[in-house]
Amino acid sequence: MTASHLRQLASVVGLLVLWQLLVQTGKLSELFLPAPLSVLASMWEMTRSGQLPWAVLVSLNRVLQGFVYGAAAGIVLGLLAGAVGWIEDVLDPWVAAVYPIPKSALFPLFLLWFGLGDASKIATIAIGVLFLVLVNTITGVRSLSPVLLKAARDLGATRIQIFTKVILPGALPNIFTGLRLGAGMALILVFITEIEATKAGLGFLLWEAFQLLDTRKVFAGVVTFGLLGVATTWLLQWLERVGCPWLQRSN
Amino acid sequence: MLLALRDVGKTWLIKRTGERVVALQSISLDVQAGEFLIFLGPSGCGKSTLLQIIAGLEAPSSGEIRFPQARGHAKLTSMVFQDYALFPWRTVLGNVVFGPEVRHVARAEREVAVRRLIELVNLTGAEHRYPHELSGGMRQRVALARALANDPQILLFDEPLAALDAQTRRVLQDELLRIWRETGKTFVYVTHSLQEAVLLGSRIVLMTASPGRIKRIVDVPLARPRHVTGRQEAAILDQLDGLLGDEVTQAMAL
Repeated sequence: MTASHLRQLASVVGLLVLWQLLVQTGKLSELFLPAPLSVLASMWEMTRSGQLPWAVLVSLNRVLQGFVYGAAAGIVLGLLAGAVGWIEDVLDPWVAAVYPIPKSALFPLFLLWFGLGDASKIATIAIGVLFLVLVNTITGVRSLSPVLLKAARDLGATRIQIFTKVILPGALPNIFTGLRLGAGMALILVFITEIEATKAGLGFLLWEAFQLLDTRKVFAGVVTFGLLGVATTWLLQWLERVGCPWLQRSN
Repeated sequence: MLLALRDVGKTWLIKRTGERVVALQSISLDVQAGEFLIFLGPSGCGKSTLLQIIAGLEAPSSGEIRFPQARGHAKLTSMVFQDYALFPWRTVLGNVVFGPEVRHVARAEREVAVRRLIELVNLTGAEHRYPHELSGGMRQRVALARALANDPQILLFDEPLAALDAQTRRVLQDELLRIWRETGKTFVYVTHSLQEAVLLGSRIVLMTASPGRIKRIVDVPLARPRHVTGRQEAAILDQLDGLLGDEVTQAMAL
């Protein structure tokens, strides 16, 4: 462990201990900032009762479905738009029009169209992920050096082979950037869509706890969201290492 | 004769101004089997464009290109690009095997061929490295092996050594001559370096700038290895230098 690691550890542990002490000595109110240990205790309780795992499962199901649909559509459309001129022309105005809209603003519409169930939430998440992945995929295709396409053609590749063997792997690093941004967006959107019109999920749990002024539970929800964020980042980093082995630094 | 160029011309249209630029004009030339042909000329004389036309990557605006001995669907030409144009997501092996792979050569057959080529260009041991883990010289060896993997009749080189340092360039020039001899293939090689032209070429096609035309074809009947400091080499260098000097002056005056 280096000195830098030690300082980082000291920073986290030090602040947590200070926080705990401030609450225990009554300098901070439990209502606004519950002590770290009581948040932990609350999380343990909620886990044992099954409340927290169930909420996570419900939310993860929505996030995963929305993410997979959105990402798949974004990658396919992005590759096609990047490689085929007329498809880009057809898509471009829609991307320009819908991209700047905060995707949470579409949620009421989707509630209207798809009802109060999971479908409206999944659709909102999918749209949010789609545009981030789409825009990054197009960038990936565009950043491909034209001489690589020329070389592939010279070596005898057909149009379809150029698509699968050059354009797709060439755009992959940017596609992963899109997926990482999309994963963050999916977590934001699952929280927003779970505030209203649902009786399950991590967002619902957190919001309900807030309305009951159960601050320990609110913190438990926030921490769990944080852990989900870390987990998705790790998962995507691992996927990127497997999918783009050439991006690894050589020692 | 392996390749015949007849009155080949290329005109670019600059869309913004509507201006027409004549890049190549009435290029007629026969390329003989097994020769090391050099296109030598100042920047902007259209020699790279000519190479792309021979490769079929650009269409000529006028004239025609014929391969009189073309048989079946054998791949006729393969290009070695100046900036290597290697696929960064493929290892050395993956890059070299690309041609046979897209042309559906049986796996066992292409593995054997590719191993042999990697040995030919002295890259044994580096098969599983990615391009960014290689030096410039090694990258150009990969590009050469990749071009050879399609077993073309003619190898086209677009200033392949221009981006390398002088030492590496010297080594690779010798390597190119060795591989040319060992494979018996026809090499068509574009360069703007006089020394390189005299060291490598069996025939040098000197080109003029804007529009690109053939100014003179110089035979280099000297034995190899050649040395830029040799007496006969110096004589040819002098001759080329004089001819090329006029061209550069004219090109800069425009």
